[in-house]
Order: sequence, then C-alpha cells, then structure tokens
Amino acid sequence: MSVPALKSTDYKSPVTPIWCPGCGHFAVLSAVTKALAYLGLPREQVALVSGIGCSSRLPAYVESYGFHGVHGRALAVAAGLKAAREDLTVLVAGGDGDGFSIGGNHLLHACRRNMDLTYIVMDNEVYGMTKGQASPTTAPEWRRSKLTPHGPGVRRFQPAAIALAAGASFIARGFSGDPSLLSRLLVQAIRHRGFSFLHVLSPCLTFRPDEKEWKQKVHPFADSPTSNAVEAARLIQADDGMSLGLIYAEDLPVWQPASECSASLADFEAEFRL
Amino acid sequence: MSDFEEELIASLPEFLAHALELEVESRERYRDMAACMELHHNPEAAELFNEMARYSELHVREVLLRAEGVELPAMAPWGFKWTCGESPEVRQAEAAHYLMSRRQALELALCHETRARDFYLGVAMRSESAEVRALAQEMAGEEQVHVDLLTRWIAGADHGVPQEDLDPPNVVA
Repeated sequence: MSVPALKSTDYKSPVTPIWCPGCGHFAVLSAVTKALAYLGLPREQVALVSGIGCSSRLPAYVESYGFHGVHGRALAVAAGLKAAREDLTVLVAGGDGDGFSIGGNHLLHACRRNMDLTYIVMDNEVYGMTKGQASPTTAPEWRRSKLTPHGPGVRRFQPAAIALAAGASFIARGFSGDPSLLSRLLVQAIRHRGFSFLHVLSPCLTFRPDEKEWKQKVHPFADSPTSNAVEAARLIQADDGMSLGLIYAEDLPVWQPASECSASLADFEAEFRL
Repeated sequence: MSDFEEELIASLPEFLAHALELEVESRERYRDMAACMELHHNPEAAELFNEMARYSELHVREVLLRAEGVELPAMAPWGFKWTCGESPEVRQAEAAHYLMSRRQALELALCHETRARDFYLGVAMRSESAEVRALAQEMAGEEQVHVDLLTRWIAGADHGVPQEDLDPPNVVA
C-alpha cells in the first residue's frame, strides 16, 4: 500500500477545538488539513495567521507555524511575514467581523498589493465569540440580537464585490457544508499566485440557528469562472450571495519586496546628509 | 445543494480508498464531537460519541488490514465518489448541539451509521466488480450491526430532562 508522506490528520494539532458542536468551522479546519496534505506541503513551510474571533482560533488547531494575532490585523501580520519569508506558504484566517469590520481597511490594501497570500474568511454573519451581535454581513432585518432588536438596519457588506474592486486576483466562495468543494477551492487558492480571497459560508448554529437552512439555499455558480474583472463584477452583482465555486482568477502582478538590501548603509547616510 | 450524479466504484483499491476515507472521517468527526461535548459539560453525549469513535477506529484498522499489499489510489479530497458530496457518515454533523440529550446524540449517530450502511449497500448493488460487491456487502453488514445496536439503545432511552443552559446565547428566542 502506498502511503502519502503526510495524511490530513498529520496536519491536525493535538489542541482540542473549543468551537460549539455543529459549528461550520470544524469542516473548514478539516478542509485546510486536507488541502495541505493534498499539496504535500511540509508543515514547517506553512504559516497560518489569524486575528480574533471563533474562526481565528484555527492556527492553534493546525500543525504548522501559526500566529494568533490582533483583532483585524491578521492580514497586516501575514503581509509582513510574507515580505520577510517569501518561501513560506502563508494562509490567513478569520471571520466576518475581524476581516470586514475591524480589519476592513487591511483587506482593501491586501487585495490591492496582491501579495501571494490565501485569505480564508469564515463568514457566519454574526459576532459569535462575544455572544451574538450583528456583524458587517448580517442582514438588515435580523432581529434576534438583544442589542439590535429592530435589526441592524444597514445594508450588508459585499465581500466578493469589495475584494474584486480592491484588486484581489482570486475570488471564490465555499461552504462548510460542502467540504469536498471547499478542499478543492482551497487547493486552487493556495496554488494561485497572488492574493486569493476565499469567502466561506460557515454557519454559527448557536447564535444563528436559522443558518441551518444554508444547506438548502446554496447552489453552484450559474456561470463559469472568469479571468476578466469586468465579467467577474457582473457575476458578483447578479449573485444572491449563496452561489458556490470559483468566481474569478487572473494573473496580476504580485507585490513582493526584495529580500535583500539594494543600498549600503553609506548610501542611506548620504541621503540624510545636510 | 443538489446531490452529485452517482459514479460507480470500479476496483477493489478504489473501494478500499473510499472505505478508509469514510471510516477515518467518521472517527475524526466523532472525536471532535466528543471533545466538544466534554468542553460543554455534556458528559453523556461525550461518552456516546467517544464510543462511536472507537467503533470507527476498529473499522479503520480493519480496512487497513484488508488494504495490506494493495496499492491504494491517491485521491484528491474532492475525488471520492460519494453520492451526497461528502463522506456519508459525517453528513449531519450540524445537527449536534451542546445541550443535546443522550437520546438526540443516539439519533444523530444512527443517522450517520445508516448513511454509511446505505453507501456500502449502494456499492454492493451497483459495482461492476464482484470482488467489490462482496466486500461492500460485508461492510454494509457491519454497519447494520451498529444501526441495530443504536436502534435498540434509542428504544430504551428516555427523552430526558432538557438541560438548563447556564450561559445562554444573547439572542431573542
């Protein structure tokens, strides 16, 4: 029997996840370990960076290098890491609050730079760790939070449209309830050279039990993926937010700072000489 | 989400790769659920899921034994020919809840074991390889033992007293 060098279970750390039973994030963790095993990436060549929130606990559960960072700053940390260590495969994980609200500005500029990072946003349309407040992707009429009893009343953040407009070169949507597709999208996202934005619908059954219905609501994208940003914009605008699959992938210039100094100390001193 | 079109499992190595994936996935998910339940102070459900994980582990070992000397195909995570888009024995994981009673946990486990049995039965009925059909029938029989056991346990389990949530979600019921 031929055995692959590392199995997906080899990428699971001994740390027990503290997510709620039934949480979608378990399937995302499983998909990440399967994608890493499929790609045969050595554990020491992978770094997983996160912000704050339930989903941001992911690095603790993956047997690779990890950094559980500051709220909303996962992309900033990851960009710094990638700038210093181009050889590493850098994955970034977080939730809708961490990535679209607190870290919203970092998202824009990470897309614009198009560094070779894979950003996995586990979107459950709620702040779960802080016990159920409306997030940027919560529907305006969601009235179940005691903090917004009349609903947030604000239009939802549109993750795919924003990522496209800001310059991301890979955009896809997965669902924790379809782990086969999710693993495939993850592999594609990691292989893509540039900023890969993977929006994952990942239900929070404790604070959003209504999200159980997502399994019936999701469907494949009606159109084939495109490498044309204009066409991608049309697809995204026509979408109901529940379409799954790769939307857009284009080879765009990747920003990667030089790893070696191009000037000597004397050159710098000369610039500051009065 | 629509079900996938069924593709037939053609060879013994391919079938063993599917069986191994199914049982490993089952073991891992049951372990996850057991650990979750322990963390959420639900020892009854944790005990049951740990027990189910042990059954799955026994099946993993059995499949590995049968696979000795067989070259298993390297399969992409999305390359398995499940009829429902994911490993059949973990499909209803979202039905778990930290307040679930032992009876509800048994019903969830029964759902998973039934799906596993049905997967093996489907292969036993439709594969074009007699060798695959025979082994699939045998494995369906083993899953049937679990189905019968769980059915008996459910029959003897009361609905229990609903657990009090000492730290309920801050949402309107």
